[in-house]
Amino acid sequence: MRRREYAALIAPSVIVMFGFLVIPLYRTIKWSLQNVDYGHPGTFVGLQNYVGALTDPRFGRAVLFTVGLTLTATAVLIVLGYIVATLINQIGRIRPLVLGILLISYVLPHVVGAAAFSWLFDSNFGGVVNYIITSLGGPEILWFTDPWPNRLMICLNVVWSMLPFAMLIILAGLQGVPEEVIEAAEIDGASSWKRHLHVIIPSIRGVLGFAILISIMDILRVFDNLIPLAPQAVSIGNESIMLYIYNEAFREGDQNLGVGSAVSVLTIILILIMLFPFIRGVFREAKAR
Amino acid sequence: MTIVNVEDASATAAPVPELKAAEPGRRRKSHTFWVLTGLFLAATCFIMLSPFIWTIMSVTKPTNVAFVDPPVFLYQPTLTAFVDLWQTTEFYRYLGNTIVVAVISTIVALAIGLPAAYALSRVPGWISAVLLVLALVFRALPRFAVVLPMYEITKSLGIYDTTYALALALIAINQPFSIWLLRNFFAEIPPTLDEAAMIDGCSRFQVLRRVMIPLMGPGILTAGIFVFLFAFQEYLTALILTDVNAKTVPVFIATQLGQTLPMLQQAGAAAVLLTIPVIGIAFIAQKYLVAGLNAGAVKG
Repeated sequence: MRRREYAALIAPSVIVMFGFLVIPLYRTIKWSLQNVDYGHPGTFVGLQNYVGALTDPRFGRAVLFTVGLTLTATAVLIVLGYIVATLINQIGRIRPLVLGILLISYVLPHVVGAAAFSWLFDSNFGGVVNYIITSLGGPEILWFTDPWPNRLMICLNVVWSMLPFAMLIILAGLQGVPEEVIEAAEIDGASSWKRHLHVIIPSIRGVLGFAILISIMDILRVFDNLIPLAPQAVSIGNESIMLYIYNEAFREGDQNLGVGSAVSVLTIILILIMLFPFIRGVFREAKAR
Repeated sequence: MTIVNVEDASATAAPVPELKAAEPGRRRKSHTFWVLTGLFLAATCFIMLSPFIWTIMSVTKPTNVAFVDPPVFLYQPTLTAFVDLWQTTEFYRYLGNTIVVAVISTIVALAIGLPAAYALSRVPGWISAVLLVLALVFRALPRFAVVLPMYEITKSLGIYDTTYALALALIAINQPFSIWLLRNFFAEIPPTLDEAAMIDGCSRFQVLRRVMIPLMGPGILTAGIFVFLFAFQEYLTALILTDVNAKTVPVFIATQLGQTLPMLQQAGAAAVLLTIPVIGIAFIAQKYLVAGLNAGAVKG
């Protein structure tokens, strides 16, 4: 391919990425070093916003909450996703039906899915979950105001909305495992448990890695789900990092754009560090191809 | 090029037809295994659907029993909430906005992403590598880092709260990922095909238009479904960049949440109306989503 053709082919994409993403990003970085308000030029304050964010106990709680949720939900997602994918891989004719049903929660906007999900728990909406729990002899649970039940409900919702995607990725991987390898293990007398642990899981390592990567990336940014599920997020310590930025930098009242931007920058750094192994792999592959 | 989907994945693994390849494996399993698998999958489907079932029940109840605790399971169904939604809110306009934004941003993101993905799949080197890494990083970016500056920029340009500003923002946000998806499909088309077409007198751009795009049908469809879904689902960007005029359904439903009980029921009705077409999308999409994932998006 000639140099000029290459440039012409990538130009629209480069222009869009530069104009609509790099320039806003530059502004966020600039804001993070300023005392600033929307529509007004800011004044340079150095690292004050970063110090402010890092010493804010609310931000610390938000980081803890987000990281804890990410780790827990990712682990559950991968294990459940693997089990469901394995079972779906066994069934034949009704597979499209089952996949279609399972995909609904993934296809729906997260905020809408989370609203429907919250209505199962909401006593203003009949409280069907508490109804089941109390009729089985359990206690009445305050899903929206008690920190830990609220966390559990959020985690369940994240798993509910992301399980279809994790399951699909793993299913795609399972279909790439050659039948002969599994049969060979069977003939060698490996039990079903050992077959999964020593044959199937190692051969879909890459796919599992990808599923973990996507889950981590998406749960670290969790925001939409918390709007219906955690209306009390700030007071019970269930604010995510994104929700913290929103509350700091956008919500009416005390808009603190500088601190919000500083947290955005810190989050980008965190994500870059976590993505580093993948970035290096992609870079090498694309350069050498 | 082969796009593998769930149904014929085993067929491509072995030249034997699918059913025969699977039969020996199936006969080995016991009867109990199948009963347990069926029960587990049925339970999973039920749990995954339960929020929708409950929502449908809540919005078809008369308002006076819809919110009572303990919940009512038997009632005279009514469609009042839907009628109210249609008459007292501008739901149809929000739905229109959502669809317009999703369709426009999908078409433009693909039109921009296609040539770039083609170039990236054919030319190695550091520029391609940097672009691809950027596409990955932008996919993972915390939205506020770009959306809050966009808020200020749209306000100062006077295009705040317009559908095209929102569409532009979503094009920018989703376009990098379309490159990522499309590149994997291009990579499956052998470059010798390009060369053959060019020997026959095609220019590079003609190769892309006349040879590649027709071959890329399933790939474009898969990437299109993903990008459409992302745009259709977007809440955060629409929340920040719209106010009254360009409001989308997810934002509308979220603003109804803290309001009065009839409004809550209308939000439920809106969620149901949004879910119905989405079920259609889910059933059409499942084949292509798996195809997209199989075609190398998850090579690792």
